[in-house]
Amino acid sequence: MFRQILLTQWKWSGLGVVVAGVAAFALPVLTVQQAGVADPTWLDALALLSAVEGWSRAYPLLALAVGLLLGTTAWSRDHRNQHVYALTLPLPRWHYVLLRYGSGLVLLAAPVVMLWLGAMLAASMASVPPGLQTYPHALALRFALAALVAFSLLFAISAGTARTAGYVLSIVGVVLVGQLLFSLAGGQTNLIEPVFDRMITWPGPFDIFVGRWMLIDV
Amino acid sequence: MTHAIEMRGVHHRLGKTFEIRDLTVNVPSGSIYGFLGPNGSGKTTTIRLMLGLLRRGKGSIQVLGRPIPADAARVLARTGYVPERPHLYDSFSIGEAIKYHGAFFRTWDARRAEELRVRFRLDAAGRIGRLSKGETGKLMMLLVLAQSPDLLVLDEPTDGLDPVVRRDVLTAVLDYVSQRDATVFISSHLVHELERICDWVGVMDDGRLVAEMPMQTFKSGIKRLRVADAPSLVSDTPFVLLAREPGDGLSGGEVWVVRGWQDPMKQYFQGVGARLREVVDLDLEEGFVELLRTFRTPGA
Repeated sequence: MFRQILLTQWKWSGLGVVVAGVAAFALPVLTVQQAGVADPTWLDALALLSAVEGWSRAYPLLALAVGLLLGTTAWSRDHRNQHVYALTLPLPRWHYVLLRYGSGLVLLAAPVVMLWLGAMLAASMASVPPGLQTYPHALALRFALAALVAFSLLFAISAGTARTAGYVLSIVGVVLVGQLLFSLAGGQTNLIEPVFDRMITWPGPFDIFVGRWMLIDV
Repeated sequence: MTHAIEMRGVHHRLGKTFEIRDLTVNVPSGSIYGFLGPNGSGKTTTIRLMLGLLRRGKGSIQVLGRPIPADAARVLARTGYVPERPHLYDSFSIGEAIKYHGAFFRTWDARRAEELRVRFRLDAAGRIGRLSKGETGKLMMLLVLAQSPDLLVLDEPTDGLDPVVRRDVLTAVLDYVSQRDATVFISSHLVHELERICDWVGVMDDGRLVAEMPMQTFKSGIKRLRVADAPSLVSDTPFVLLAREPGDGLSGGEVWVVRGWQDPMKQYFQGVGARLREVVDLDLEEGFVELLRTFRTPGA
C-alpha cells in the first residue's frame, strides 16, 4: 500500500526531486570552488567567510522549494477529483494522510542526502585556513530540518480545500489592511512586526530558515 | 429480510438551496436495486452519504450491517463504488491503476482483473487521461469487480456510453452477481436500462424518496385507466389515484393514473356510477414519469 502511494508521489514529483537533488549536491561543491577555498593563499579568512556567506542564501531557498514541491504535489491530483478516490479507499482518513506524508518524507530524504554527500565532498576538497572549520553534517541537518518544516507546512495547507485556503488568506489580508489603516490613522502600535519576529526567532517555526547556513565557519 | 443498506430519517443540507429530507431507504441483501430520479434529485448525494463521503445531519445509516460513517473504512473494503465522474489519476496507465487500486483491497482478485482487462480490450499501457469515455467506464467496472465486493454501488455507470459498451459493462455486473450473492445499488436516469436488470426500485425526487418497492409491483401496479361518467368527487378509492385528467376528444371521459391496481378493483367504478372502459399497462418509464408528476403537483 505504502509502496503504491510512494510510486504515485514519485510519478508526480520525481523530476523535481531529481533536479533538487542535483542542485543540493552541486551547491556545496560550487560554494567551495567559487569561493576559491581550494587555493586559499590569496584570500584571508574574512574574505573567504564573506564568499561562503554569499552562497549560504541559496540553501534555505532550496529547502523551501523542495518543501513546496513535495507538499503541493502530495494533494494536487486528489484535489482535482475532490478527493473522491482517496475517500473511497478502504482506510481511515488519518491513515491515508500518514501514507501521503510518509511518501513525501521518503522523497524529501533524497535531496537531503545529496546535499550531505555534496557537503562532505566539498569539505574534503577545501583547504581551510587556520581558525576556520567545515560543517558538512550541521549544514545537512539544518537543510533537512528546514525542508521538513517547509514540507510539513505546505502539506498541511494544501491538504485543505480552496475554501480553507480562502479563509486563511482572508484573515491574513484583513490583518494587513487593518494594520495599514491603523497606521494611516496615526496609530503607533505595529501588530505585524512582533508576530513576524516571533515566527522567525526561536521557538518560531521559521527560525531554521534564518541564521547562518555556513559550510565553512569559525 | 435483511438489508444491505439501511438509511433511516437522514437529513443533509447541501449548499443553500438543496437538502435531503427524512430519507429512508432499505436495500434488500442480494437484490439489484435501481435508484431512479431526474438529474439533481439527490441520487449522488444519497450515495455519498451512504458511503461516508458526506456527513449526515440527522438520522442513521447502516451499510452491510455496520454504521456509517463510524465504520466507513470497513464497509468500503467490501464495497465497489463507481462514481458519477471518473475519479482515477489521469497520469496513470491502466496497468498502474490496476496495481494501485489492488494494493488497498485484501480481497483483490488479480486473475479476475486480468480476465476483465482482456475481455474489455483495455491496453495495460494506455494512459487514463487519453482513454475514451467507454474505456474509462470499463476500467472503472474492472476495478470494482476485481475487488470481489459484497456490495456494488454504481452511480450512473453507463451514462454517456454507447450501447455496445453499456451492454458489456452491465453484462459484467450481471455475471458477477450470478457468481456471488452480491447486492447491487445502481443509480440512473436511464429507466429502460434499469427495467431489464433490477428487482427493486427506489424513486428519488427533490431530496426525498418518492417510492420504494419491488420492480414487479412497481411495473404491474401503475396503470392508466379510461373512465366514463366519472364522479366529480373521488374518495375512498381502493387504489392510489396519482393523476386525473380529461380524456381525448374522441373517447371522452377521463384518464386516471393509479398505483396499487388489482383487477378486482374494477367493481369500485360500478359502486360510484362510473364505467371503466380500459386498463392500460404502463412501462417503467411511463410509471416513473407519472409518479414524479403526481409528486410534484399534489392533488393533480
